[in-house]
Amino acid sequence: MNNFIIILLSFVISLLITTMTFSLGVFSPDWIQLVLIYWLLAVPSVIGLIGAWFIGIIADVTLGSTLGMHALTYVAISFVVMQSYKFLRYLTVYQQAIIIFIIFILKYTILLWIDRLLDINVYTLSIYWTPLMSAILWPVVFYILRFIRRKYYIA
Amino acid sequence: MQLFYKKSTQDFYIFLFLIILSVSTIILDNKYKKINYIRSIISDVIIYPIDVISSTPKSIIELFVLESQEGPDLQLEITKLQDENLNLKIKLQELQSLKDENLRLRNMAKESTIIANKQTLVKVTSASAHPNKKIISIDKGRKESVFEGQNVLGLKGLIGQVIEVNYLSSKVLLISDLNHNVPAQITRTGEKLIVSGMGRDDKLRVSYAPLNMDIKIGDVVATSGIADRFKLNIPIGKISDVIYNQDKNFVEAIVLPYENIGNIAELILIWDYIPKKADE
Repeated sequence: MNNFIIILLSFVISLLITTMTFSLGVFSPDWIQLVLIYWLLAVPSVIGLIGAWFIGIIADVTLGSTLGMHALTYVAISFVVMQSYKFLRYLTVYQQAIIIFIIFILKYTILLWIDRLLDINVYTLSIYWTPLMSAILWPVVFYILRFIRRKYYIA
Repeated sequence: MQLFYKKSTQDFYIFLFLIILSVSTIILDNKYKKINYIRSIISDVIIYPIDVISSTPKSIIELFVLESQEGPDLQLEITKLQDENLNLKIKLQELQSLKDENLRLRNMAKESTIIANKQTLVKVTSASAHPNKKIISIDKGRKESVFEGQNVLGLKGLIGQVIEVNYLSSKVLLISDLNHNVPAQITRTGEKLIVSGMGRDDKLRVSYAPLNMDIKIGDVVATSGIADRFKLNIPIGKISDVIYNQDKNFVEAIVLPYENIGNIAELILIWDYIPKKADE
């Protein structure tokens, strides 16, 4: 139960940082997704696909996008990560950052695709800065969350 | 092995189910706008507190600055004067555009009766509420019966319109957004044009004015009331640049807005104009 509260709190903080870095525009990293990937890698059973979907819906409301858009990508990425976490876990942090960069590019391609398909036109091609910023910041998120995880013995 | 197989197929079916669920919410939200109340519930319960927390450091500092100044009497005085100032400025705004209009309509003996009877001052809680669009959030919502499409003004001119109403907060789309267009007119001649945002706070654009249009640097641009979206004669800005582009067969112009659109602390909502709803 304690574990669950810590994880929930980390998501609340990631939402907080997301709203605070809105002014950076496309250069603000995708904090919620980074935190989600970390917890999926570290403790795959706690959040699960359904949890990822709910976090996606909340992210949709925060970001003001069409409801379900981010939820879809969150579920897809969570599925991939949950299937391959045993492989991903044994890579170094910087190798993980490269994998995350690739995953994020796919994610934003899907978002861009939905955006164009529905004729919303919120995103431009400059949205591809976000995967780069997120990949650069992955080591920071990783070490901070690992510190928290070890401190509170979340397993 | 049996167990592992069972678990992974179960995961797969959950995955499929959630994907279908996501696609259907996307379609419901985009096509029918039916699930806005879910959005506003999540917004009030989760996002609003987070917004408040994220603006706490700023408001604490403001509180200290306020405390260090003199007592409550002075504050009361200031509030009163500010209210008065606000009312006067709104009147002035209307006078300016009425003056221009009168000049043009003097011979037509036509009366113009546009005065904002009721207005509400709102505070901006977050100056950018969206990573890619020019959207800000304000601290009044359904509780104060803010409605969708309500016109939002600054002291000097048009700012935008309300696009999302939650119980305690709302979101305002600014006229400087890349996809936002305002039906407008030049107050000197009454000719109609469309003012679009450029995604920048300090400039707006007129992309498609006809070549023979009488348009000069310094002309005042105000809303035209066409399409029943914005109230008539709200000033927007001044023409600062006119580009005659012969290849395109259109005149382009740059409009400098009166209001510092992206960086403003207090906005005014007007109540006596209800825009026509766009039907889906």
